[in-house]
Amino acid sequence: MKWRRREKKKPALYNRDELMPPEGVPLHLEVAGVGARMAAQITDILITGIGAIAIIILLAMINLTSPQTLGAVGMMLFFIIRIPYYVLTELAWNGQTLGKKLMKIKVVSHDGLSLSAHSLVVRNLMKEAEIFLPGTLVLTLDAASPISSLIAFAWIIGTLLVPILNKRRQRLGDMIAGTYVIHLPMPVLLKDLAQSVPQPQLKKGKFNFLSHQLDHYGAFELQTLEDLLRAQENRTSAQMNAHQNATIESVIEKIRRKISYADPVSAPDRVAFLRAFYNAQRAHLEQKQLFGERRKNKFHAEQGDEK
Amino acid sequence: MEQPDLIRSARFRKEREEDWARLEKLVAKAESQGLHRMSFDEARDLAALYREGTTSLAIAREISLDKALLHYLEALTARAYLSVYAPQESVHGVFSRFLRRGAPQAMRRSWLFIALGFLCMGLGALAGYLLYFDDPAWYYVMMPPELAGGRGPDASTSYLRSVIYDEDPDASGLGAFATFLFSHNTRIAIFVFGLGVFLCAPAIALTFYNGLIFGSFIALHVDRGLGWDIAGWLSIHGVTELSAICIACGGGLQLGAAILFPGQLSRIESLRQAGRDAAKLAIVAAVMLVAAALLEGFGRQLIQDMNTRLAIGWGIGLLWLLWFALGGRARS
Repeated sequence: MKWRRREKKKPALYNRDELMPPEGVPLHLEVAGVGARMAAQITDILITGIGAIAIIILLAMINLTSPQTLGAVGMMLFFIIRIPYYVLTELAWNGQTLGKKLMKIKVVSHDGLSLSAHSLVVRNLMKEAEIFLPGTLVLTLDAASPISSLIAFAWIIGTLLVPILNKRRQRLGDMIAGTYVIHLPMPVLLKDLAQSVPQPQLKKGKFNFLSHQLDHYGAFELQTLEDLLRAQENRTSAQMNAHQNATIESVIEKIRRKISYADPVSAPDRVAFLRAFYNAQRAHLEQKQLFGERRKNKFHAEQGDEK
Repeated sequence: MEQPDLIRSARFRKEREEDWARLEKLVAKAESQGLHRMSFDEARDLAALYREGTTSLAIAREISLDKALLHYLEALTARAYLSVYAPQESVHGVFSRFLRRGAPQAMRRSWLFIALGFLCMGLGALAGYLLYFDDPAWYYVMMPPELAGGRGPDASTSYLRSVIYDEDPDASGLGAFATFLFSHNTRIAIFVFGLGVFLCAPAIALTFYNGLIFGSFIALHVDRGLGWDIAGWLSIHGVTELSAICIACGGGLQLGAAILFPGQLSRIESLRQAGRDAAKLAIVAAVMLVAAALLEGFGRQLIQDMNTRLAIGWGIGLLWLLWFALGGRARS
């Protein structure tokens, strides 16, 4: 209930957090959600569990342990494998266990410095108290002891609530260690719309925009137009095509009315017109920005008046 | 292709695009192979290009409105940042630093809390001992039945002796080791450390209670004239094990004290600082518990002589003490 309300309040789709590296240029990293982290955790439990089971089978085959103590030995092996596993993998692979690698998430230090061995040890030792202790409590539950079941459930709900209730989705261990978990950002360099000019029919000076015509929009509208043009570039199916054409036509009509652009735009020239408008608008806004006037969106004029 | 009429931000991108592509390649290499396997030139270029990348990002935020470019630079710089500021420590280095300096220094720094842990345990043992001689019925109050294993005021002296000197050691060493590790005392050690966060009280209570059990157990045997025998039976692993519980308690108390008395810091910050030493104490306690489990699993079955048991138990205790007292001191 609680987190749903929280999601609604936020207009942004992703939960981003600012990290300040020593270079002093803040980076905005997407905080990993509870779901992705739980998936990584389950993967890691499976990996370490399989390791423990393999050793158990080996021990049973060479008769090193009696069947009565097999269960206890298994628990011990799981325990002995998993405690160094998390610390050592996160240390060797810079904050990623195998499960985290699969989910493409990573531990980072919130102060912008590199992860220290200490913080990795702390966050993974607390994992024992936060995840494995209540986990084993639940596994060993029986109906005869309702009090311990209640404690186990309260414990689990408590540890689940902590990351859900704070913005960086930190576990208790993360808080003490000063770390949090992010999605690894993927750098993909798309073509520059202002630079690539594929249309041969776009002759220079075909569409000219005057300075007052470019005063209507701000960065938000420009970047929405950018998204539209990029989607138009890599459209595929014919059905999508028709839909896209209708969108582009209505967008052009809206822009023409807003900036009072008199000449009609013929059907084959539509994309060329939008590209020309994008270029001119971007050049204009970037020019303004250089001189200290950031126009966030089309309401920039009204906001300016209020001040 | 000559395009003299490019807008400013497009020119900015065109001039730097090659460097970004190279940085992207170096980052991919650093992530897949690790920084230490890169050549000198590559490592130097990675660092230089990363700093160039941060500058590009800072400039692009000022001059460019190209969303795709901003996202790309942000992601690229973040990836480069993560591989440039990767932990530089080797696993081996971390271990040896912990053993040589970290652990003993942390133990010495938090001697007061550890002393408090021993005090809780000692007072508990004293109380248990005196209560037993006051009235042996207290034994049933304090001792959980599954822990006593039939050893109580009702048991015969010969039975108590037979448990101490195991006539037919049939249990496998590994099995005993494992059962021990999940036995009462390990759980106590985990709890006293973890519960220390809740304002110290649960950690103190639990350690005291553990002392009570311990004291009444000894009192039972002293009452039957088995005092030295039980001392030997307990010493061989108990010196290590009970010290581990006290150290874990010390770590827990340190966390609790950080929350109770944060001083000038905020509580979370104070907890974070106390955590530095407390985590080391927890690891020391864990190492000691594993050592105690080995002693219990193998040593107690193999060595049946009382004096040897005493000597080994306290000898190992002395070794721990030497490590804590002398390790990591600056050579002068």
